[in-house]
Amino acid sequence: MGKAVEFIKINKRFPGAHVLKDISFSVEEGEVHALLGENGAGKSTLLNILHGVYTEYEGTVRLHDKEVRFKNVNDAIVNGKISKVHQETLVVKDLTVGQNVTLGYEPKKGGFVDFAKMDRDVNEILAKLHCKFKSEDMVSTLTSGGMQMLAIARALYHHSDIISLDEPTASLTMKETEALFNVIRDLKKAGVTVLYVSHHLEEIFQICDRATILRDGEFIETLNVKDTNREGLIHSMVGRSVAAVASRLKPSPMTSEVVLKVDRLCGGKNFQDVSFELHKGEILGFFGLVGAGRTEVMRTIFGADKKTGGEVCLNGRKVSGHWNTTKALKAGIGLVPEDRKTQGFLSLSSNTDNVSISSLEKYMTGVFVDEKKKEKNAEHFFEEMDVHPRRIDYLTKNMSGGNQQKVILARWMSTDVDIIIFDEPTKGVDVAAKAEIYRLMEEMVEQGKSLIVVSSELPEVMGISDRIIIMCEGHVNGELKRGADYDEDAILNLAIGGN
Amino acid sequence: MNRIITKYKRELVVGIATIAMAAVFTVMNPTFLTWRNFLTILQQMVLNGILAVGMMFTIITGGIDLSIGCTFAITGISVAYCCVNGVNPFLAILLGLVIGVILGAFNGFLITKMKLQPFIATLGTMSLYRGIAYVVTGGRPVTSVPDSFRNIFNGKIVFDIRYYIIVMIVVFIIAYILLAKTRTGAYLYAVGGNEEAAKLSGVNVIKAKYIAYIVCGVCAAVAGLVMLASLGSAEPTAGTGYETNAIAAAAIGGTRMAGGKGTALGTFFGALLLAVLKVGMVVINVDSFWQYIFTGLIIIVASYFEFIQEDIAGLMARKKAK
Repeated sequence: MGKAVEFIKINKRFPGAHVLKDISFSVEEGEVHALLGENGAGKSTLLNILHGVYTEYEGTVRLHDKEVRFKNVNDAIVNGKISKVHQETLVVKDLTVGQNVTLGYEPKKGGFVDFAKMDRDVNEILAKLHCKFKSEDMVSTLTSGGMQMLAIARALYHHSDIISLDEPTASLTMKETEALFNVIRDLKKAGVTVLYVSHHLEEIFQICDRATILRDGEFIETLNVKDTNREGLIHSMVGRSVAAVASRLKPSPMTSEVVLKVDRLCGGKNFQDVSFELHKGEILGFFGLVGAGRTEVMRTIFGADKKTGGEVCLNGRKVSGHWNTTKALKAGIGLVPEDRKTQGFLSLSSNTDNVSISSLEKYMTGVFVDEKKKEKNAEHFFEEMDVHPRRIDYLTKNMSGGNQQKVILARWMSTDVDIIIFDEPTKGVDVAAKAEIYRLMEEMVEQGKSLIVVSSELPEVMGISDRIIIMCEGHVNGELKRGADYDEDAILNLAIGGN
Repeated sequence: MNRIITKYKRELVVGIATIAMAAVFTVMNPTFLTWRNFLTILQQMVLNGILAVGMMFTIITGGIDLSIGCTFAITGISVAYCCVNGVNPFLAILLGLVIGVILGAFNGFLITKMKLQPFIATLGTMSLYRGIAYVVTGGRPVTSVPDSFRNIFNGKIVFDIRYYIIVMIVVFIIAYILLAKTRTGAYLYAVGGNEEAAKLSGVNVIKAKYIAYIVCGVCAAVAGLVMLASLGSAEPTAGTGYETNAIAAAAIGGTRMAGGKGTALGTFFGALLLAVLKVGMVVINVDSFWQYIFTGLIIIVASYFEFIQEDIAGLMARKKAK
């Protein structure tokens, strides 16, 4: 077989920074090729070059043994037959599936859009992808899995024979992920080459043939996936050995004191009759499939959403009256949200301001906020949490995912809250930063804080928590204690509604 | 030093542009550079400057207040009535400020509790407040406001400087302190930068927005008082279209229309630039129709600067991050 993609001595420089250094490797036709590396290793930059987002670079890109240099993204899609499925799929929600798939290249009949042909063509593609939705459906009715399929359908509509998937499973349920993998296998059979970027190493072993590893903008190696293992990949990505899976290194400081008691809490259609207790010094895991209502429960406890029934007791005192996030913060609850970009950091603010926003009362001189004190606090946490780059004046939005997450953690550690709720704390975070976040969690409970960790990653919940509560379709469907109870199959069974 | 330059880059750019513009006017007509003319420029910018401060507060939270011109008119009328009927002028001023608080708070109520889009909510109150002004006065102006009130703002201190110029400067200083030095300021920026993230950080978003609209209402009321003092009469039609000038001053000064960014210093220079432009064009005898065209072009060019600047800033940050 020939080479679908060949990179020859690719160099990319931003003013003052050399982000890709002499990258050369090739991707065979019809293989699923993983592109691995930590945040900031250069994966996205390389994909952006391949797909015509960046048009200025040194070196040569060859597709099917022909040198290409795309003028822009559309040039790559239409003339290069190469498409990229984004991490956050870009769709126009108020149009139909068909309109989105064909956007900009709608079939025409005498100057008007030929909707009949559009729906016919698109439905044919959707059938190939085993999609349940139709071309005529509105995009706003799709799940995130559906939108991912829509993006693949768009690639097929343009007859792409090379498709890049950038973190495609980040917001998919397990079922959707499985469906996606089946589609990838079908595509492979049809001779399509797939470039696959993911932080979930299990997926690499499930779906990929070969993997190329980048580190700090340099090519490290390309290897056959079946010749390596998890540890090997991580070592190659990070450059040293890192504990890959979540685990507790210290004994649990959990006590029997109840700090948070939730009693038959209801939140409209999202969840009903949720009851549980959180103990001082405990890490309580919340597992469930996407859509099980875990996030909504946590947002309600934190005062971001309104409850429709039930009680929350903090340190034995019932929460009453009008409850909001400001009161929750004062009462000692913090929340690290799932989506850093839209819910976590303030995108226009510096790291200093992002760290200090929840604890401003601590940096006062008289009635004024003292910048120096704010900066000192941020510097302290940047040192302690080993944030890179160690620049408190940078905008948080320009930091990598793992370091953004550390900034949010620093925000809550700057406050006096003693209950912190983590919603998918390691989503989109690289391995080294993951290990660091687990270490910090252990440190927090040691200091007497109590944590709730909502996660869709089974190894993470099992590794980190003292106890796991499993939710299914808005209800608590089981509770397991660390030790003999922890069994993957049992947990999964509870999550899909079994008992 | 470097840090100060990066932090206040936008303000510096607008400040330098204003000075450059003044230099051009001076070359074309040397009388531009006189103390008298300088005072004219300051007097020209007073109303718009004070209104722009309030407008900036609402824009920083990601909103806007189109009703300021009407709050301005209502305040003028009410205080004029009081003064004409012998109420103590300081009591009347207090009443004017309270009206500003109430009208601003009502905007805040519509936007936070009723969850209306700020543009629509204040478009509604713009007409509502204007209507109140007409109904109360029957469309007639209130005239012959006594000097006891007028002198509070309109009197001269030294070198022909009137008190209301001091009032404007005080408004800017208070705005600066509130935004740059207090927790409230930090919360306002947070709400405008990313409302959901601010809420999930424990910021009281509703309170922050109320504060912004109340500050805006109070600024409009202060401007209304100044207007009443300098004219000696109040009309229900006063302040029509003032909101657009206030938006322009804030925007030129670097206030981000989507919220989260904006400084008192920037807005000061924005209002100053517009005043210099206006007075300058009169001094060099530009036809008044053409003045509109130049003002429009300046607003567009200034806003375009914002784009280029964000591009450059983004590039620099990325470069450093690698």
